[in-house]
Parts: sequence; structure tokens; C-alpha cells
Amino acid sequence: MFLAALKFNSTEQVSSDAALAQRLLHRDVNAFEQLYDRHSRIVYSVVLRILRQVSTAEEVVQEVFLQVWRNSGQYDASRGPFIPWLVTLARNRALDHLRLKSERQRRLEEQPDDYVGGLPQISIDPQYEQAMDEKRRAERVRSLIASLPSQQRRAIELAYFAGLSHSEIAAALKEPLGTVKSWIRNALLKLKEELQAKA
Amino acid sequence: MSQQDQFREMVESYALGALDAEERASFEAHLAACAECAQAVEEARLVVSELAHLAPVTQPAKRVKERILQEVRSEGTVKTQPRVVPSGVPWWLWAGVAALIVLSVYSTWNARKLQNEIRRLNEQAALEHRRRETLEKEFVAAQMQARILTDPRSKKIMLPAKDPNMPQLEAMWNPELGICLMGHEVPMPSENRAFQLWLIPKAPGSKPMPVHAMMWPDADGKLMHVVEKLPEPMSDTKAIAVTEEPESGSLQPTSEPMWTGALS
Repeated sequence: MFLAALKFNSTEQVSSDAALAQRLLHRDVNAFEQLYDRHSRIVYSVVLRILRQVSTAEEVVQEVFLQVWRNSGQYDASRGPFIPWLVTLARNRALDHLRLKSERQRRLEEQPDDYVGGLPQISIDPQYEQAMDEKRRAERVRSLIASLPSQQRRAIELAYFAGLSHSEIAAALKEPLGTVKSWIRNALLKLKEELQAKA
Repeated sequence: MSQQDQFREMVESYALGALDAEERASFEAHLAACAECAQAVEEARLVVSELAHLAPVTQPAKRVKERILQEVRSEGTVKTQPRVVPSGVPWWLWAGVAALIVLSVYSTWNARKLQNEIRRLNEQAALEHRRRETLEKEFVAAQMQARILTDPRSKKIMLPAKDPNMPQLEAMWNPELGICLMGHEVPMPSENRAFQLWLIPKAPGSKPMPVHAMMWPDADGKLMHVVEKLPEPMSDTKAIAVTEEPESGSLQPTSEPMWTGALS
């Protein structure tokens, strides 16, 4: 099974993350800090890519990690690894903010995205960089999506980072609804195969 | 195609959150009774979460960790209560002590609960305050953009792309207010990189002047950026250009301009 393959592929990381998550139930701040150090970068990257604004992205990252701390029982290790659960939580939060912002934008007419909150501080965490397995996975995902035709790639990006539905994507790209559905499904199946093949 | 096959085709899009409302409702009704699809959704969610790697990798500022840890630490940790060792004290005295301990533990718990509630309310207020600040900043930027676009002194500059497959950018430069750069269907820069604006001075032999404001298009490929303070006046500038640079910005261009526009 693919789930098993994914779990197997990152057994050490999963068990370790799961163990840390378990320690959160006992209000272990050190375990929380370790989880933050490991995963804050991927969480922040996704949230910033969705919201395109440093101040709001930082706010959402804070909300996500405080939710992990306060509701540590929400994560169920038997249902899968910690990172996908965390990333999904962060993406959903960010998309909620984005939708709220869209509502406001409709009222305020068109307004620009801005970075007046300041530029993100860039630094490379050596511990993270050593996680070569994660890095290779990231490269595989990027290269596979980059190999897709540009409209299909846009469809995936609009769905994942803008939270658009099939019909909204079809309207944005001026493509037939059926085409958009096939593009998204085929891209995700291709990605699944790619990850499965190299797991 | 059987109905099961139709639902099976919705699995990936459901995990991505891309189904339209009607399809989603019908799929969720099916999901409640179909273990096979429920398992497939679990698997598809893992695949979808891999798309997170498409986001340019960025490290959050240290202040974010500090803020979170401060909050976490302030909420405290659960401590094990010390075990009471029995002695030759009469039972009724123990009962009294036990009652006092219960009362004391309850008071401590209650006080902590109230403190946490206060902290939570304070945090909520701080979040609301930050949201308001963000909104205000967005509003100010929108106002500035509107002023630049409508002011008759603003000068329109077209920036054709070097790559014919790339869209053209457009800028409005107002000598008093600043510059507003706009574009549609602009692709994302490479990982850890951003777009940077440069002013090309008229003076012969002068180097391009960097504008320290990094730009990214939004998820729809829309680029809209306002820069109020520019390093060179319009009168001393012959052209503007946009390059792709590291996210932290460059003092001089490290790549060929992707867009260039002359001030006629």
C-alpha cells in the first residue's frame, strides 16, 4: 500500500515525530520546541506562499503551532505521519485567512498585495539541510510538477495555494471543466506513482 | 462507468479540496459508507501534502519562535503531585489536611485556569490588533496605488519581457508619490529568489540603482507592487528594469534583466 510505503520511507522521522507529539500530551515544552525546529520552515513556506504577506503568515504559523500545543490529542499517529497532518493543518488555516481577505478585497475594491511587513529573514538551518531524504523528495515533487504543461501546472497551483475549486480554476484558466478535472487527477496520480516508485 | 468508479475519480480532487460544493457533498455522503474510498482519501492526502514542497523555501523569523515559545511556556506544564507519606497522626486530622489540600489544589487550579483565560483573551486581543494593523497597511497601500494610477503627473512605462513567452509588465511612475509596478500571469521566481526593480541612470557609465523592495506575484500570477521611496528621481533615470535576485535582494544585478522599460 502507498500509505505503508510512505510510512516505511520515513520510518525514523515518523516514529520520532510521533514520539514527540505523544510527549506534547504531557505538556513537554522541549518536545514542542523540537517539533517547531524541525517543521516550522515547511509550514512557514506553505503559509507564506498562500498568503504572500509576511505579517499574516507569521500570525498563521503562530496559530498553527499553538493549536498543535493546545490540542495535541488531535494528531493520531495511527492515521499517518506527522508532517502531512501538520502541513494540511497549516494550509487549511492559511486558506481560511486568504478567503477572509478575499471577502474584504471585494468590499475594498482592488488593492495590491504588499510586503510592507518587511522581508522574511532567510537563514539555512543546517539540521534541516541534513535531512537529505526530505530534500530529495522535495526535488522530485518540484521536478515532476515543473515537467507538466504550464496550464496543468497552474491548475495544481491554483488548487493547492489559492484553494480554488474545479469550476473556479476552469474559469480562471478559461479551460473546459472536464479538462481541469483530468489535469488535477492525472497530476496527483503521476505524483503518487513517482513517490511510490522511489519509496 | 459505475457510480463507484465515478466516486473513485473524485478521491484526489477531494483530498486537494478542489471539488465544487455539490460534488463534495455527494462524495462525503458516499465516503461515510465506503471504506475503500476512505482509505484512498487517506493516501491521497499524503500525496497532496507533498505539494507543499512547491512553495519557495523560507525560514520564519526568529521572533515567531520566540513569540510561540513565550506563549507555550506561559501556559505552564503539568507537574506530578508529591506522594504523602502516612504517619501516626489521627485519621480526622488527615481528613482535615486532605480537605485543605483539596481546597488548595482547587484554588491553584482555578487561579491557573483564570490566568490562562486572561492570557488567552490577551492573545486574542493582540491577534485582532495585528490583523487591524495589517488591514490598515493594506488600505494605505491601496490608497497610494490609487493615487499613483489616477494622478495626471504619473508617467506610464511599458516593460516588454526579454523572453517572448513572458507577459509584459506596466509601471506608473509619479515623481512625488513613487512607482507602481503591475503585471498579469507572471510566473513565480525560482526557489529562494524574488523579482527586484532597478533604475538605470541617465549619466553615462552609471551603475543600475537597486530598489530595495522584493516582489513576488500572487497565487493567480498577479504582480502589483508600490514603492514610495526611490533612490533616483525620474528626471535622472533613463530606464527601469526587473531582474530575478536572491530573496534578500542584491546591490547590483546578478542576472540579465527579464523586463526593461525606457522612459521616453
